[in-house]
Amino acid sequence: MNKKIQLTVNGKAVSAEVEPRLQLADFLREHLLLTGTHLGCEHGVCGACTIELDGAPARSCIAYAVTCDGADVRTIEGFDEDIVMAELREAFSAEHALQCGYCTPGMLITARDIVTRLPHADEARIRKELAGNLCRCTGYVGIVRAIQKVIAERTDGSSPRVESAVIGAVKPPSGHIEDKRQRSVQPDRNVYGRPASELNGEGAKSKPAIARPEGSHEATAATGMPKPIAGAPATGKQTTMHQSFSIDHPVAKVWEFFGRLDEVALCLPGTSLRGMRTDDHVDTRIRIKVGPIVAEFEGSADAVRDPSSHSGTIQGSARDARSSSTTRGEIRYALQDEKGGAATRVEVDVGFTLTGPLAQFSRSSIVQDIAKRMTAAFVQNLEARLNQTSTGPKAVRAKPAPAAELNAGSLVVSVLWNRIKGFLRSLLGR
Amino acid sequence: MKPVAFDYERPRDLAGAVKLLAGSSGAAKVMAGGQSLGPMLNLRLAQPQLVIDVRGIGELHAVSDANGSIVLGSCITHAAIEDGVIQDVTRGLMREVAANIAYRAVRNRGTIGGSMCHADPAADWVSVLPLLSAAALIEGPRGRREVDVEHFVTGAFSTVLEENEILVGVRIPKLSAAARWGHYKFCRKPGEFAEAIAAVLVDPDRNVCRAVIGATHSAPHVIEDAHFIAEGFDSERVLATVMAAGVGDDPYERQIHHTALKRAALRLNA
Amino acid sequence: MTSVHSRSGKGVGASLRRKEDARYLTGRGQFVADIRRPGMLEVAFVRSPIAHARITAIHKPRGLEDRVWVMQDLVGVKPIRAVSGLKGFKASDLWPLAKDKVRHVGETIAMCVGATRAEAEDVAAQVIVDYEELPAVVDTVGARTHPPALVHDEWGDNVFLETLYDDELAHVRQSAAICVRRHIRTARQSMAPLEGRGVLCEWIERLAQLEMYSSAQMPHINRAGLSDCLGLDQAAIRVIAPDVGGAFGYKGILLTEEICLAWLAQHLKRPVRWIEDRREQLTANANCREHDYDITLYADRDGHLLAIDCEATVDSGAYSLYPFSACLEAAQVGSILPGPYKMERYRCRTWSVATNKPGILPYRGVARTGVCFALEVALDAVAREAGKEPYEVRLANLVQPHEMPYDNITKKHFDSGDYPEAVRRAVAALDVAKWRARQKTGEADGRRIGIGVSVYCEQAAHGTSVYYGWGIPMVPGHEQCWARLSPDGMLELRIGAHSHGQSLETTLAQVAHETLGIDPANVRLVHGDTALTPYSTGTWGSRCMVMSGGAVATACKDIALRVKHIAGHLLGASPDELQLRDGEVGLERSDKRMTLAEVAHTWYRQPQLLPPDVHTSGLETVVGYKAKVDTGTFSYACHAVAIAVDTEIGHVEILDYVIAEDGGTLINPMVVDGQIYGGAAQGIGTALYEEMPYDSEGQPLASTLADYLLPGATEMPPLRILHMETPSPYTEFGQKGIGEGGAIAPPAAIVNAVNDALADLGVELTETPVTPRRLLAATEAAKATRLA
Repeated sequence: MNKKIQLTVNGKAVSAEVEPRLQLADFLREHLLLTGTHLGCEHGVCGACTIELDGAPARSCIAYAVTCDGADVRTIEGFDEDIVMAELREAFSAEHALQCGYCTPGMLITARDIVTRLPHADEARIRKELAGNLCRCTGYVGIVRAIQKVIAERTDGSSPRVESAVIGAVKPPSGHIEDKRQRSVQPDRNVYGRPASELNGEGAKSKPAIARPEGSHEATAATGMPKPIAGAPATGKQTTMHQSFSIDHPVAKVWEFFGRLDEVALCLPGTSLRGMRTDDHVDTRIRIKVGPIVAEFEGSADAVRDPSSHSGTIQGSARDARSSSTTRGEIRYALQDEKGGAATRVEVDVGFTLTGPLAQFSRSSIVQDIAKRMTAAFVQNLEARLNQTSTGPKAVRAKPAPAAELNAGSLVVSVLWNRIKGFLRSLLGR
Repeated sequence: MKPVAFDYERPRDLAGAVKLLAGSSGAAKVMAGGQSLGPMLNLRLAQPQLVIDVRGIGELHAVSDANGSIVLGSCITHAAIEDGVIQDVTRGLMREVAANIAYRAVRNRGTIGGSMCHADPAADWVSVLPLLSAAALIEGPRGRREVDVEHFVTGAFSTVLEENEILVGVRIPKLSAAARWGHYKFCRKPGEFAEAIAAVLVDPDRNVCRAVIGATHSAPHVIEDAHFIAEGFDSERVLATVMAAGVGDDPYERQIHHTALKRAALRLNA
Repeated sequence: MTSVHSRSGKGVGASLRRKEDARYLTGRGQFVADIRRPGMLEVAFVRSPIAHARITAIHKPRGLEDRVWVMQDLVGVKPIRAVSGLKGFKASDLWPLAKDKVRHVGETIAMCVGATRAEAEDVAAQVIVDYEELPAVVDTVGARTHPPALVHDEWGDNVFLETLYDDELAHVRQSAAICVRRHIRTARQSMAPLEGRGVLCEWIERLAQLEMYSSAQMPHINRAGLSDCLGLDQAAIRVIAPDVGGAFGYKGILLTEEICLAWLAQHLKRPVRWIEDRREQLTANANCREHDYDITLYADRDGHLLAIDCEATVDSGAYSLYPFSACLEAAQVGSILPGPYKMERYRCRTWSVATNKPGILPYRGVARTGVCFALEVALDAVAREAGKEPYEVRLANLVQPHEMPYDNITKKHFDSGDYPEAVRRAVAALDVAKWRARQKTGEADGRRIGIGVSVYCEQAAHGTSVYYGWGIPMVPGHEQCWARLSPDGMLELRIGAHSHGQSLETTLAQVAHETLGIDPANVRLVHGDTALTPYSTGTWGSRCMVMSGGAVATACKDIALRVKHIAGHLLGASPDELQLRDGEVGLERSDKRMTLAEVAHTWYRQPQLLPPDVHTSGLETVVGYKAKVDTGTFSYACHAVAIAVDTEIGHVEILDYVIAEDGGTLINPMVVDGQIYGGAAQGIGTALYEEMPYDSEGQPLASTLADYLLPGATEMPPLRILHMETPSPYTEFGQKGIGEGGAIAPPAAIVNAVNDALADLGVELTETPVTPRRLLAATEAAKATRLA
């Protein structure tokens, strides 16, 4: 399964046999021992692994060695003879553009791209171009200045003097009292165009509510104390959704249907049955495909019923072995007579939790939305099946057909989905 | 965070790619620039058995000019569009959009076709190409078909592509000389995902007045007749439209999408 | 002590370029992940996907049992136990691999090996763990008031430690004209150095010694902890911190992974390596900063502070981490909240609570960032009540220069400084009048202008008495330096602290130059290796320039005396008359002089020429240093910021940012500025971007850098730094620790500016970070209140 590749690395021909999953960065670091290329996130955000691929900066963490067959790769170790890089190195040292040095190789490769591709870039443009290279030490002050300096020297036409040794050289003493370096043009940092704010006109003269707690400090419940705004979207797991619908069948019949756990379970899209199956226990598999992600949750569900109140609970849990993520769910239902026994009101509460890597992404602004849609889909299938069961032949019982496998498209049905989505859109909106 | 093992093929032509896809029974994943798939592979969120690298297919890099439109091959990179290497028939809109996708190092590899197929609702091309009434050119075992981009994305991360089909390119109608556009994207940091995208296009010669709400939870919301946005901003109707786009339930989302449309309209008329 | 400024341009006060730059600029630094050993195996961990659960079974994959280890396999290995000396502390046992229970997502459960990391991850993916899930303790205050479960069953509650600084407030409550009470929170954060942790371990049979490369900021402390847990004597362990890619507190901890790899290397007799990936860093390993304050300020009509009453809860996560323990932050809160402000009364109760989240580590600024945020945001509310400019309220309450040295209400001993002057300079440089005018006029684009200030003090390099008082299991004493003038006249220095961006290779060479006249280029620093360097508690608490700098100066003085003694004998001069300059020793305005190399050559190669009473230790020495008063140096600053708030979309743009700072004598102003810029960037991250959210099940919701937003170049405003240099009377050159200050003040200054911009809308934000969602929600809520 290894693949043969031939490429050029820092001007030298290299051939190797590599596993397709080998990141270009790991190929450079572990196979060629070019460790100047650093890994900082492995998802394309931090920029520490930036190298030059066919003459342009690229992430070596989300490129794979096998895809670079025939390519020309240049790492930080391949710029020793490069004049622009020499100028940048000199300027980086002079402007204190590095501290721990970890982001520096990727930063220099991006900086070189800025200087050569955008020879007239101003400070604002430089900052924007640097957005894909994170530095945690310097606050970017020295980095931006160093790039400005090299651009200025190059546009002056004066060939800048490059000192070969940066060690021990002294920086002119003027710099530290105050930043005297004037930014030639203060860039318009308003990225929003010209909003004619409507809110601005509403400047009512009101003051923040100020509480004067009476008595002891323990009275924490004192009203009026400004509270932090719960800013993050509701991330409450155990998302519960309530749905209510009426069906034109007597309670007894509907109650009988809810007693058949397998049929109820199959109302969840993408569910198939496996292994054990009794009226109060089923083993299930739920397959969900979301873009490139395929999750297959295997688990079981158990039912508890209370005939006296015509209510019951189905609890299930399942695990996706690929992602080590688990989900737990609970469906509560309660049936009530309607129309003098001719119909039944069905109250359904559906709740979910998801744990594990698939859950661990933020910005799930649509949790409620998705959960609603999931519950709606379940209820829709439930209604359809109830009608089918009530009116159709008993044969349905013997061979319940699963609801269409979920292929996140026309109907998006999973709580895990919104988490993944938040992640995907954040990371991959490219 | 290293991927699970996968196999890798780099077909030389479309037929070869389609054949590989057809023979994979859904376990293959097409990769172009790999800027979206790479992170998912590394995080082991995506675990395909086979990765089909389509960058070796010449046709996917082609640009052709025909009949009032231009066809961009799927593997054209965002950087090529940003830099104007590719003729821009949209009076600068596509260049602006391209220049604000992720980061330069990502734009150098990421492709317009890959981005469309990934169908991330927050992605720029997914949001903006429907505004332009672009079309998707699709190759499969039964030959070629063309689908309006507006209908290409069927939901978040989901497209009309069958498992054995490949997006060959996108056809982009040329804007007329009098066309105007306004585009606004809100993200917390450059390169981060968009929290809201809005764009408005007025091309009187072609009788077009369209708008789009992007970065929704699903496919972008196209507004065919956008006069209430482009000519005298009708805040109430816009609000209703935001609700219709499915991004109005959450007050924060409602606010930013509404504002994005307003600002896109302001830029249109600037 | 007078301020010292080098005349040579290379010593104290010179913006000398960094000696360490060259290797980083060429990609030739050496970080842990850059090191390989023949036969090395890579390690991946099975980690808990659940926040709180009992482990009922662990199934090793069939056929791969010999590549997987669980706690039962690590026979004789003890748990990590970081016990605070403070009364009432409840200890936690952190097993290197979870034993019966997991208490946060990401906790290590099993260790797996492979020839590559990918293969090790393949093995880990096949390990199946059965859990019995338990309710997760997630809410910080709820953990103690309404605990849904016990993180540590045997405790009876979820409180590591409660402290009380008590005082009688009844009178103040009755008499105070102004009383503001606020609920203030800072979000949980990840320190997120660009390089994560990494460990490479090898058992060296020849030395019967465990050799560990670790991306660590306190290698000697790691060694001590490893020795405790592994049962090896300390000399059988060598910890080396090579180049380290940023730390900020994140690498000041003994890791379960370090213990596991140490055991494994010894057990397998093969080198093993584990490199923390970003996902592990964000979701599994230590966090910081999650504070909750219920704070009340009492003041008179003019805004003079009368008293502070505060209840603070620090979310310490599931375990007390070694060596700082779960209680450092909360204990600090109680003692540092009043800071440089004067008041009559002060009461503060603190809790360190246990939750089902990763443990916490002291992040740059430690508790000061939270404390500064709570106090400064509340002070602005006082200013609004008093109808004064916020800076006027600061000026009215700050300690005055003539009161220095000053003991504040919690007996913090302020060494020196002019705090009001810092405020005046910052406010003048920002030009408050200009911004007020612009605010009144209104922006053409509809945005709202706001200005904010905040003041902090940064106690740094605090020593024995302070740390003993905080109950930390690691109390620093004398800091040592080993120095040798080598036969060729080069100076070798070895210190036990470690530099990972702080530029010690350069700044300590400047110190040596100042004392010994040697060219900094001829000074070599060895650090970060327990086998080669004197013992040290390491790099933390902004202590290196004071402590290691003091130790280097002291050692160099020792060497200088011995050089003069030998040179005096050789030159026929009195040692007292000799001067050290430019690598030479000799008489001023005389040709009686010789190079350091000549002196060294005599000691090593021509001892027959030495004076009969020569010091028998020659040109090599180990010397300890402790500041004259070890309560620490107090650097401080006033940050003043002007911002524009876009109330339609919730975005905050920083228009101008001024820092008026006093770090005492600056050893290398360029490096100091770099520390302040970098700290400020992190503070801006705290204010506006960074947040590690957890859902109600204890699932971390930021596992990538697309979820956890670090400030980039576009998020950084132009920063202006104004230096004051009031020397500390207690340190070698008058220098003060400054490494953390930049990160302390920005959240308070920025949020105060936002509140200033939105004050007439009735909006007041009291929580970090100020995201567009929070800002718009607050604006909407205020609008609803107004309409109601």
